[in-house]
Amino acid sequence: MASVVQVRAVTVAFGGLRALRGVDLDIAQGERLAVIGPNGAGKTTLFNVIAGDIAPTAGAVVIRGQDCTYRPSRHRPRLGLARTYQKARAFSGLTVRENIYLALAGHRGRHRALWRSPADRAMSDEAGEVADRVWLSAQLDTVAGELAHGQRRQLELAMAIATRPDVMLLDEPASGLSRGERERLVDLLESFDERLTLLLIEHDMDVAFRIAQRVVVMADGEQVMAGTPEQVRADPHVHRIYLGTEAAA
Amino acid sequence: MNLRERVTGETLALAGLVLLLVLLPSLATAFFVNFVMTQTLILGLAAATIVFLARYGGMTSLAQLLMFGIAGFMFGNAALDGGARGLNLGWHPWAAVVFAIVVTTLVAFVLGAIASRTTGIYFLMLTLVYGVIGYFVFAQIVEISGPGGITSIQRPDLLGPPVRLYYAGLLLSVLAYVGFRAIRRTAFGLALQGVRDDPVRMASLGFNVPLHRALAFTLAGFAAGLAGLLNVWWNGQIDPASISIGPTLILLIIAVIGGISSLEGAWLGAFVYVLVFTYLRDLPLVDRIGITEARFNTVIGVIVLAIMVLSPEGLTGIARRLPVRTTRKELGGTRA
Repeated sequence: MASVVQVRAVTVAFGGLRALRGVDLDIAQGERLAVIGPNGAGKTTLFNVIAGDIAPTAGAVVIRGQDCTYRPSRHRPRLGLARTYQKARAFSGLTVRENIYLALAGHRGRHRALWRSPADRAMSDEAGEVADRVWLSAQLDTVAGELAHGQRRQLELAMAIATRPDVMLLDEPASGLSRGERERLVDLLESFDERLTLLLIEHDMDVAFRIAQRVVVMADGEQVMAGTPEQVRADPHVHRIYLGTEAAA
Repeated sequence: MNLRERVTGETLALAGLVLLLVLLPSLATAFFVNFVMTQTLILGLAAATIVFLARYGGMTSLAQLLMFGIAGFMFGNAALDGGARGLNLGWHPWAAVVFAIVVTTLVAFVLGAIASRTTGIYFLMLTLVYGVIGYFVFAQIVEISGPGGITSIQRPDLLGPPVRLYYAGLLLSVLAYVGFRAIRRTAFGLALQGVRDDPVRMASLGFNVPLHRALAFTLAGFAAGLAGLLNVWWNGQIDPASISIGPTLILLIIAVIGGISSLEGAWLGAFVYVLVFTYLRDLPLVDRIGITEARFNTVIGVIVLAIMVLSPEGLTGIARRLPVRTTRKELGGTRA
């Protein structure tokens, strides 16, 4: 199957610290890929490079056949890419509806209109429907800054799915969620269209292994191994660097 | 009080205030209307551009008085014929108006584009630098001004009587207030607030953050230019000292007095400033306690200090808290 995202020998250095060391990654259309690893492994840096928030020191990023290595993040939505952040980054002064509306407006190029048109009203209604998908319809007119942590993460997800992306990058979507919220999250992720390519960073192994078809393990800025969830779960090296040797026993 | 009731209440109160201001020339003295209130409307309009950028864009600009001044200087250069200084282009006054606004808006776009990649204290400092550069440009280039400025500037015949200038100020203030409020709900306004809250997130959604900031700065520059035109018509002259650091800070202080997060606060702050500036010296016995005209800025400083201590959101912040307290009291201390 054709690769929709290609990461080629990407290195990122912050001064003397090398956060990524020649990472290669091919993600196929419709693949569900989880990236796991201990803190400082370079997972979020890898996400930031793919999403265009950080330009790599060396290497290349190709999305849907286009070299995007040095193109800023604002070009990514046009290529069908959407992302969430490790720390939920909703617009705290705007309501849930307005946050989702902005995701839609950004994707559809309605950036600078100085008047409200029927298209705006349609997007506003659509924002309500998206909020319903992530169980936020009761908070539609609540300012994002007043949402609970879990609700902010739901809003992040809503902003990502609103644009119906081809590729979605989710950075620890289950972080800080209760058990019930995690179950709902997994149900939601499993309900996505199978053509959607999903790249997921997740510390919760239950969530990561249930969603992913393939798991990439990173440590110290490098890819340590890649395989099916079962292969990763059984690998002693992974246990040693990430899950802990006691867990292997 | 729910949101709809509050909005309706606010709208009715503002409509009543506008009606009062429309009727003011038949209720108050000519001095109060043509000096106090006209100046209030002009300074309020200029300060509203600071509030617009700060509240919706998260950009505290010290360059708004420069835009205000550029419009005045450009009008003086274009409209005057045979004056002592300036280009003396001798254009029709309304052609000069268009010229002044176009130049001001273009300058605002260029300066906004340069400043658009900075935020916070760096944006503030850069816009302060703009103000300082602007002062020296007009003070040192004698072809367009020189230190003495441009004098004997006439306003268009349509605005001949002073009360018409008052009404022009009122009309532009109402349009600016309604326009800025309406923009808040548009795609541009929502995106601007998104840029304020999280520019990185906005970029990831596909928005060109620097361009958005530059366009907001341009819009604010346009409105500040309109205020600058009113000012040059009201004063009949303009000189570089009127856009130096002192007046630049005063415009910011006006916005702070009213409440930098509130559009209506811009005009409220201007009203308080003009009232103090106009009437302080006339208060009985104030000179006995050392408050003389020379110490006006000290008095303004104390007023700002007192307001900041009482309410960082300025006078409108104090005003907005009053009904809430009443409501909580009525509810026996529970939150609605």
